[in-house]
Order: sequence, then C-alpha cells, then structure tokens
Amino acid sequence: MSTGASSSSGVAAADLSQDVHQRIGALTRQLHDSLNGLGLTDKVKNWAGEIPDAKSRLSYIARLTGEAAEKVLNSVDQAKSQHDYIAAETRRIGALIVKDPVAAVAKGHVMNFITDVEEATKHIDKSLTDIMMAQDFHDLTGQVISKVVNLAASIEQQLVQLLIFTAPAEPVNKPVEAPATTFVVHEHPVLQGPVVNPEGNPDVVKGQSEVDDLLASLGF
Amino acid sequence: MANELKFLVVDDFSTMRRIVRNLLKEIGYSEADEAEDGVVALNKLRNATFDFVVSDINMPNMNGFQLLNEIKKDDKLKHLPVLMVTAEARKEDIVMAAQQGAAGYIVKPFTKATLEDKVNLILSKLGLK
Repeated sequence: MSTGASSSSGVAAADLSQDVHQRIGALTRQLHDSLNGLGLTDKVKNWAGEIPDAKSRLSYIARLTGEAAEKVLNSVDQAKSQHDYIAAETRRIGALIVKDPVAAVAKGHVMNFITDVEEATKHIDKSLTDIMMAQDFHDLTGQVISKVVNLAASIEQQLVQLLIFTAPAEPVNKPVEAPATTFVVHEHPVLQGPVVNPEGNPDVVKGQSEVDDLLASLGF
Repeated sequence: MANELKFLVVDDFSTMRRIVRNLLKEIGYSEADEAEDGVVALNKLRNATFDFVVSDINMPNMNGFQLLNEIKKDDKLKHLPVLMVTAEARKEDIVMAAQQGAAGYIVKPFTKATLEDKVNLILSKLGLK
C-alpha cells in the first residue's frame, strides 16, 4: 500500500513540476511577445548596455565627491595650521611688546611678525581658493546624476507600460494605473556632459592641455 | 582700465557661477553678473553693456552653442568675446565652438591659473589688456 501511495505522490510531483515548467515557458513566451509587440526589445538590449554605464557613472560620482572631500579637508588642515601659527606669533609678539616695546621694535621682532603674518595670510588665501574650487564637483556630479535619473525613469516607464500591456483581461485586483511621468527623457542627448571614462576614447580630450593642442592644430 | 570690464557668467549650476565669479574677482575682475541659461543671458546682454561672456554649454532652455550662435549673429553683440567653460570634452564640440566663434574653451574641472591665462590671453588679443 505504501508503495502505491508513494508512487502516486511521485506522479503528482512530476505533474506539478511539468505544470510549473509549462507556466514559466508560457510566461517567458508572453514576456517575449509583449516586448516585441511594444517594440521594447531594442530598449531592453539598450538597458543591458546602459546599466553598466550607470554603474560607472555612479562610481565617477563617488570618486569625485571623495576627492573633493579629501581636498577640502587637506586645505582646512593647512589653513588651520597657518591660523594657529598667526595666533601663537601674535601672543608671542604681544608679550614682547608688553615687556619692552622699544626693544621689540628695535630688534626687528615687530617687523618680522608683520612679514610672517603677510606670508601666512597668502597661504590661507590659497587654501580658501582651493576649498572653493573643490566645490566644482557639484556641477559635474549634478550632470551625471541627471543622466542616471533619466535612465532609471526610462526603465521605470517601459516596465509600467509592459505591466499594463501584460495585465490579465479580467484581473482579480485592478491594475495600478501608470503614474504620470514628469521626467523628460532625452534618449539621444546631443551633449554628453562630463566624460566618465576618458581613457581609450579618442573622441574626447583628457584635459586642458589637449584642448589647447587641438585648437592650436586647427589654427585657433 | 581692464579691471573695469564687465563679465557675464552663464551656467545652470549656481555653485559654478559663484566659483567663476569669485575667481574672476581674485584675478582682478570684480564686475560680473550671472545668468542661469542662454535665454536669460541673451536678455541681459541685450539690455545692459558687457565686455566678456563666460559660458557653460550644457544648459536647459538655450545651451551654450545656441547662445554663442545668437551672440555672433547679433550685430550689437558679435564683438563680445565668449569663453566656453564646460564639461563637454568631445573634440567635435571643441572644434564646433571654435568654428562658431568662441574666443576660448576650458574643460571642467579647471584651475584658477587656467581661467586667468585664458581670460588674459583673450583680452590681450583684443587689446583690452
């Protein structure tokens, strides 16, 4: 008896497996037909290429923001060290003046102090300029983020379209309506924005010196 | 005299406009106004006097190439030097900018020294420095 029971449960399991297999096959066929019907096959192929591109764009953002933070912290360290120096020298020269004002001037302590402070302020000014320049990452990463957002919006839009198209004729649950897309998707932007991977790309310049060389070669 | 020249800085990122304005001030040009795209820039150029335009390329509404084109076909504005400061690093964009009459081209990220060199070079060529 037990042999017959296990045999029939084995047949049922095989039937179930076959059924699942057929359902997956049917779903795959439906997905394939839907993609073709919607003209999305090429878009899906493009996503495959664009997703790694989005990954390298995000890595670019991480690199740029990391470098900017590093630059700012280094410049702050340098400025603080100059600032500490000025503060210490001010205290020292103040004590000398209180002790013997004539000697402080006559021995050149005051004049040396003025020269040193002037030099230190130049260094601080340079550090402040470097901190300001480090903020250019906002512009460059902003452009790259915008491209990644457009890609995500494009994929979302196509997936929602696909969902609507493949929804059962009489669904148990009403399908969620596609949200109104507010993104402007530029599929073929004329302008490329920052170059994320310039290495090995002969169509782009890698720095200002290459821009100057190119323009000079054209007589500009 | 050169220090009284008035600059128009055009970029859709306010951070970059501030950076360029501050740099111009540091290199001796404190007279500067800003515009966030080509449309606003063109409006300002037609309603006030400027001596130099520093413009981004990739901007909404009217990009830097379109702005350059509008400036160069306007008899009252075509004398203005336009220095492109942009992240667009394709050689064809650089060549196109030069062919359309840009006075110079700087790729971002750039340094204070690069901006100073280019601005002074352009002004020297025009006899304004």
